[in-house]
Amino acid sequence: MPSLVILVLSLLVLPTGLQAQPTDLEEQLRAISKELRCPVCQNLSIADSPSEMAQQMRALIREQLKEGKSPKEIKAYFTSKYGEWILLSPTTKGFSLLVWILPFIALTGGIIFVLLVARRWVQRKGESRPSEVDPALIQRVQQDVSTERVWEIDPEIEGPRAHLLNEQARLYTELQELEFDYQAGRLSESDYEDLRPRYEAQAAKVLRELDSSPAEAMSKKRPHRAERQAKDAGPAQNGKAQSRRGWIFAATGAFLLVFGVTLGIFLSKSLRPRGSEQDSITGDFLTGTGPGGLSADPGMRRADLQSLLTQGHAAFERQDWSQAIDAFKKVLAIDSDRPEAHTYMGLILTQAGHVDGALLAFNRALSTNPEYPLALWGKGMVLYRDKGDLSGARQNLQKLVSLLPSGKERFEVQKTIDELTNRQATPAKSKQSVTNPSRIEGTISVDSKLKAKLDSGDALFIIVRSANSAKGPPLAVKKIDRPVFPLSYSLGPENMMMSGRPFGGKVNVSVRLDRDGNALTREPGSLMGTYEKNPVEIGTQGVDIILDQVL
Amino acid sequence: MPWRRILLTLAVILPLVAVLAFGFSRDPRYIASPLIGRPAPPFTVTLFDGKTLSLADLRGKVVFLNFWASWCPPCRAEARDLEAVWQRYRDKNIVFLGIDIQDTEKEAFAFLKEFQITYPNGRDASGKISIDYGVWGIPETFFIDPEGRITYKHVGGLEYPIIVAKLDEARRGLISAKEGKGAYQSIR
Repeated sequence: MPSLVILVLSLLVLPTGLQAQPTDLEEQLRAISKELRCPVCQNLSIADSPSEMAQQMRALIREQLKEGKSPKEIKAYFTSKYGEWILLSPTTKGFSLLVWILPFIALTGGIIFVLLVARRWVQRKGESRPSEVDPALIQRVQQDVSTERVWEIDPEIEGPRAHLLNEQARLYTELQELEFDYQAGRLSESDYEDLRPRYEAQAAKVLRELDSSPAEAMSKKRPHRAERQAKDAGPAQNGKAQSRRGWIFAATGAFLLVFGVTLGIFLSKSLRPRGSEQDSITGDFLTGTGPGGLSADPGMRRADLQSLLTQGHAAFERQDWSQAIDAFKKVLAIDSDRPEAHTYMGLILTQAGHVDGALLAFNRALSTNPEYPLALWGKGMVLYRDKGDLSGARQNLQKLVSLLPSGKERFEVQKTIDELTNRQATPAKSKQSVTNPSRIEGTISVDSKLKAKLDSGDALFIIVRSANSAKGPPLAVKKIDRPVFPLSYSLGPENMMMSGRPFGGKVNVSVRLDRDGNALTREPGSLMGTYEKNPVEIGTQGVDIILDQVL
Repeated sequence: MPWRRILLTLAVILPLVAVLAFGFSRDPRYIASPLIGRPAPPFTVTLFDGKTLSLADLRGKVVFLNFWASWCPPCRAEARDLEAVWQRYRDKNIVFLGIDIQDTEKEAFAFLKEFQITYPNGRDASGKISIDYGVWGIPETFFIDPEGRITYKHVGGLEYPIIVAKLDEARRGLISAKEGKGAYQSIR
């Protein structure tokens, strides 16, 4: 209020010449900002919106006006940044033209519709204009009426002409009564002059229809009931009309039901309570606006949770254990039941050799989600490799197999189970001795100095060459895409390059972490490693290799 | 006759329902950007460390331009992934640049510290840069190819794999026809 007073006073006091320029600018600013839509509001112009965005936009317009830009140029600038969307009134070009035209088309259509309906009503009431009727027919009507014959309505006649005949009889009787009333002085002349031509015209119309419909033999007085309503149709037609009416009712009902249900579902799915002023009421199911709505704070924590999990996962892949542990600990601080976090903790503990802690973590994960695949895998492998609890391992892995869709992963797990079953059948004498005569098993890890060179797109090749022949194709090769180190592997006859040769004897084992996954090319930057105690007998376990060379 | 009437009624109602369904299936706040495939608007920004940075100086490099604010939950959600990608690709001719909008310096600093962000970040106090890029919902990210063209725009939180994929597309100058969309927060 005080500012208004000051404004008024200043307008009064200051000479108008001095005021002209700024007011002009402000007016222009207001005019332009009234035409631009505020991007963060709903159907508000920049001029009307109190938002920070609108303020910034107004400041920008003012600046551009001061630079001497025309309103057209300024609007073009905003359109080039936000598209046509920013204009509150769409342009009268292209598709936007429809927005301008459609209402008028709809209005015209509506008026025409109303006129048509009104005309039909009028016609139904029989107010056809006398001018449309043939004068000869009128004459016939007048002749018919002037005879002394009594016209009777007979509700029991049937046939297509029945209602016409009855209508004729009714109109003729009306005309006769009219005449009688007029003669008797009970009807004024003006009323008589008004009503008579109208009845005559109607009767003439009925006559015309009677003339055009074929004269059929009337089946008079059928014994069974002929209701009054049936006067405009025969019983067959009447039944048809009734069933048709039933259909209309059914169709309308079904349509209303479907419409209501659809509306109910769509509305409840696509609308939600506004969480804050910034929030949109539409979202989720249809528009995919994503989470929002009520409870912004837990939402923020949830969002944090997801990113922490991603971060932990990435750190785990990079083998940055301390960062991974840090991230998963934070996750557990927010949600202490998160199975992913417990599982990864377990996997990290397994790497560190804390078998019991790892088992505890896996059990914790499985207590929340007994079907969490990674936890089942981790627990199974710990029981198998570290605890030697083969039946427990089998139980977990078999559950995992039943959960996994058929594919590479399931195949791998099934292979481990088979391996395990073999071992159960022939118990191992000692951990390091030859257990499976036709396999080479061990782990592969990366030299700590070279960890930075790892790339998520790498592929690992485990290459087994016969110790006798250094040249020629390798005996067996196994490719592992996107390896996660340390990694335990198992190579058997199924990995042989050429079948038919025996998989046995002394071999040299080496590994290469390939940049592009193509076994035939060797890119600079690929990591290499060979087994320290090459050559080795096939069937040896614990063939542990470290990737420690760079090509 | 009644069938004709039913058809007529449906002919009137069905288009109306279709219009309604179309309306409900759209995000009323979504503003499609006309900037994709066009040269990125030039700007100079003062970074939080006091240096100034011009987009023109970054010609020849892939630029990852991210608009954010400390009060925006999806920005928090993506912050760690952004830093992770930056750490991974920082020496591969790629520049990350964060533009903080509608924020206070203090809160912005706290945000950068919390997420240990090391790539350059600056503040757009007047909102000029963000209007120049047609920003309306944050986080909003523009991928700019070495020739200075915008190849992709993403409204809402980003994740590691998509950033890597889109950076690679930008490096090769491939322009995405469609904008990306995730959970976003309307600016104020």
